Amino acid sequence: MDLALDRLLTAANQIILGKQPQIRLAVCCLLARGHLLIEDIPGVGKTTLSHTLARLFGLDYQRIQFTSDILPADIVGSSVFDAHQQLFSFHPGPIFKQMILADEINRATPKAQSALLEAMEERQVTVEGRTYPLPQPFFVIATQNPAHQIGTFPLPESQVDRFLMRIELGYPSRQAERELLSGQPRHVLIDQLPVALLPEQLAGLQQAAAEVHVSPALLDYLQAILAFSRQSNDFASGLSPRAGLGLLAAAKAWALIDKRKAVLPEDLQAVLPAVAGHRLNVGTNDSVAIVAPILKHVPVL
Amino acid sequence: MPFLPSTRLMLFMLGSIGLITLPHAWHIPPVLFGFFTLMLLWRLFGVWRPSYLPNRLTVFLLMLAGIGLLYSQQHSVFGRDAGTGLFVVALGLKLLEIHGKRDVYVIVYLAFIVAVTQFLYEESILMALYILLVCGVLLATLITQNSQAPQTLPALKTSAALILQSLPLALVLFVLFPRLEAPHWSWLDDDTQARSGLSNTLEPGSIAELSLSPELVFRVKFDGELPPPAQRYWRGPVYASTDGVRWRAPPVLGRENNPDQPAFTGTAYDYTLMMEPQKQNWVFALEMPTQFAGGLRRNGLYQLISNKNPGDRAEYRLSSSPAYNTGGISKTERRENLQVPGKPSVRIVELVRQLQDKQARPELFIGNLLQHFRQENFHYTLSPDPMPDQPIETFLFERRAGFCSHYATAFVYLLRVAEIPARVVGGYQGGQINEVGGFLEIRQADAHAWAEAWLEGRGWVRFDPTAAIAPERIERGVNVDLQIASGAVNFSPVQLDAKTLSWLQRGRQLWQSVDYNWQRWIINYDTVNQKAFLQSLGINDFVKLGYWLLISIAGIGGILAWRLLRPNRRRQDPALVLYRQFCAKLSKAGIEVDAGDGPKTLAERAAHRRPDLAESIGRITAIFIRLRYQADSKTSDLQVLKTLVASFRV
Repeated sequence: MDLALDRLLTAANQIILGKQPQIRLAVCCLLARGHLLIEDIPGVGKTTLSHTLARLFGLDYQRIQFTSDILPADIVGSSVFDAHQQLFSFHPGPIFKQMILADEINRATPKAQSALLEAMEERQVTVEGRTYPLPQPFFVIATQNPAHQIGTFPLPESQVDRFLMRIELGYPSRQAERELLSGQPRHVLIDQLPVALLPEQLAGLQQAAAEVHVSPALLDYLQAILAFSRQSNDFASGLSPRAGLGLLAAAKAWALIDKRKAVLPEDLQAVLPAVAGHRLNVGTNDSVAIVAPILKHVPVL
Repeated sequence: MPFLPSTRLMLFMLGSIGLITLPHAWHIPPVLFGFFTLMLLWRLFGVWRPSYLPNRLTVFLLMLAGIGLLYSQQHSVFGRDAGTGLFVVALGLKLLEIHGKRDVYVIVYLAFIVAVTQFLYEESILMALYILLVCGVLLATLITQNSQAPQTLPALKTSAALILQSLPLALVLFVLFPRLEAPHWSWLDDDTQARSGLSNTLEPGSIAELSLSPELVFRVKFDGELPPPAQRYWRGPVYASTDGVRWRAPPVLGRENNPDQPAFTGTAYDYTLMMEPQKQNWVFALEMPTQFAGGLRRNGLYQLISNKNPGDRAEYRLSSSPAYNTGGISKTERRENLQVPGKPSVRIVELVRQLQDKQARPELFIGNLLQHFRQENFHYTLSPDPMPDQPIETFLFERRAGFCSHYATAFVYLLRVAEIPARVVGGYQGGQINEVGGFLEIRQADAHAWAEAWLEGRGWVRFDPTAAIAPERIERGVNVDLQIASGAVNFSPVQLDAKTLSWLQRGRQLWQSVDYNWQRWIINYDTVNQKAFLQSLGINDFVKLGYWLLISIAGIGGILAWRLLRPNRRRQDPALVLYRQFCAKLSKAGIEVDAGDGPKTLAERAAHRRPDLAESIGRITAIFIRLRYQADSKTSDLQVLKTLVASFRV
């Protein structure tokens, strides 16, 4: 199983070049049963990354392109009158897939955004009084353009909080870009990718991640981080209990990827920018810079 | 909205008030206490049946009744008894008038005052503990009143904690704050209390009344060794003039400045004497006092007189020497000490002639007389037959059984008939050693009367005829009187082993020792003692005292605040302690250790900086991580970590 994970990471790194940390975080996010928000300018490989992950994990994949005129029904589906049977039948929308790429989520109106985000939180969809469960596992990768771009509806804080992690991809390095330019088109490579994990293997890994040991000493450190974020003047609002739970789940998954049976402070530190960066309202998007005071001032021991 | 105190609050309050007022049952008139109890029970009943509580008019009438009772009993509101009665009655009435939170506060504060009045009557350590305990319950009442979800046990715990926290402050204030003393408590001093003790007159049977009283008179702590029992005579009043039945102290006027200081030989005993409250301002010093501190004077009869209020407990530093020579006597004194009422009877003269030799040597006469007492079937008894007229003759020739005062008066009378100046001395003899505290306790039962004869060249010499009859009383320090009285011993062959003390007696002695120290250090800490103590600390004026008070209170407040505000530190993880030592060693080697570094990060950086140490750094870090973060650490890991950290050298 560990080997499968290694294989998966290696394969992904061959498609998306020079982005090992981000890929690792994305995998970690999936193992922690969380949703991922990728924020970056168009064209740096957000779609490629999600497509690659879907392929490697062997998940049903659906991309939903969010536009300013997309309606909730376009996402969750709608009831259509069946003339033959003389009754309404539900036509599931694109959301009924294991992995959703919600592309450019902040181009859609808040109404459409909230339809997706409600589904993410509850892992079910309610249409006209009937509840339809979403498939398992259910994993959303949403991409977002930087808020300063024209024609965006920035996600409100409460909805950003639904994403376990936010990562940025950034421009590739010179060498990686050269490889990209000289290599085969990515979509061809993706199509050739083998499935690295069986569905039950993914479920097993998620279970194993949840069972990684957490010592009281580590919880002390986690609570110190939470307390610091709430007391420090650097942050307008501190980390919520949900953020704390997410931080712990992500750190457990990170420890699992590192093939360890216990969470170390370093695991928390590694996932902290991605988990806490978008939850601390600071005014900058640089997650590493946002959490730097926490890492610097909260004593580990 | 009507104020409805919770049942718990009411029970707390009524319970504590009942407990606080209970000891007053012995002090205030039964009628007043009954009135208070009635109010308390009425209010207690009203906890469950509020409709039975009196209305305003009834309370008003009750108040009038209370005032009437108070006036009929005390005729005043001043003075200790009347004031206490007033407070108790007011407290009882206020209980029936609880309309709001404010009333609860008034009642609780009034109850605190009533608690304090208890100390006007009794200052014992037991009473102090009792009042402290009851004040704890009263404090719990206040806590119950002010908490959201009152609970009995936590409220009591909180009040105990509050009292404990306030004790250091109370101690500082007790020691440093100027003692306020009303001049002899003049308007609070009710002299209604009859105190027993020796008096100015001596009747043959008078001391016998005291002989069964275990009441403490004074306590003595010697600096060095104790004098032998036969020398433990504590000198009190001197009785010189007699009408044949009663003996009176001679007038002391004109003898204030004793002209002849006795000549002392031999070693002196230094001791501290603590007098219990007395009716006379006499201080019973060991014969013969040589030095005495201020506040005391020695009258011409060698008795020490204090100028303090005898109703207060007082402590004196004294020095006495058992070997003394008082020198000559004046003509007046000689005449005074030869006085006999009327002419002695034929029987007496005949007896004196029998005992006298031809040269009429006083020493020989005294020896013969004591011999006479010993041989002629004289007995010592606690309950002598009453001898209303001519007690001396009746005693000498008919009854031949008497108490120390019979022997002393008869002895002195016979000496006077034989032309030897003699007088009766009252006081105490003996005392019981408290082996725990190492001090002597002298009780009323130790009251004694002995004789003093003036001999040429020797001055006043003590003779104790009782010793001739019942040497056990004098020699062995055994309280024969009580033993006889309780029927424990038949007098004649006494076989008492004073050293075999049962554990019960030991316990009693321990308690008395605690009580002695309580009296000595707490009750006796008055203006004078405080001044002396503060001067020994170098505090001479009020400014300095103010600084001391300020600094001590600020210090105690600071300590309490620190204890209160410091974060609850958990017990340190031993692995963490060891790891910190390791970190200290690393930073000594120039490897910076940041607070935000996890152990792995630190280990990597350290190994990078010092590749030579990489292996031991890695091992220490791995074991530390296992101990602190992993579920599978072994018990031996801590020991391994200890060894590794200890042997880690940079």
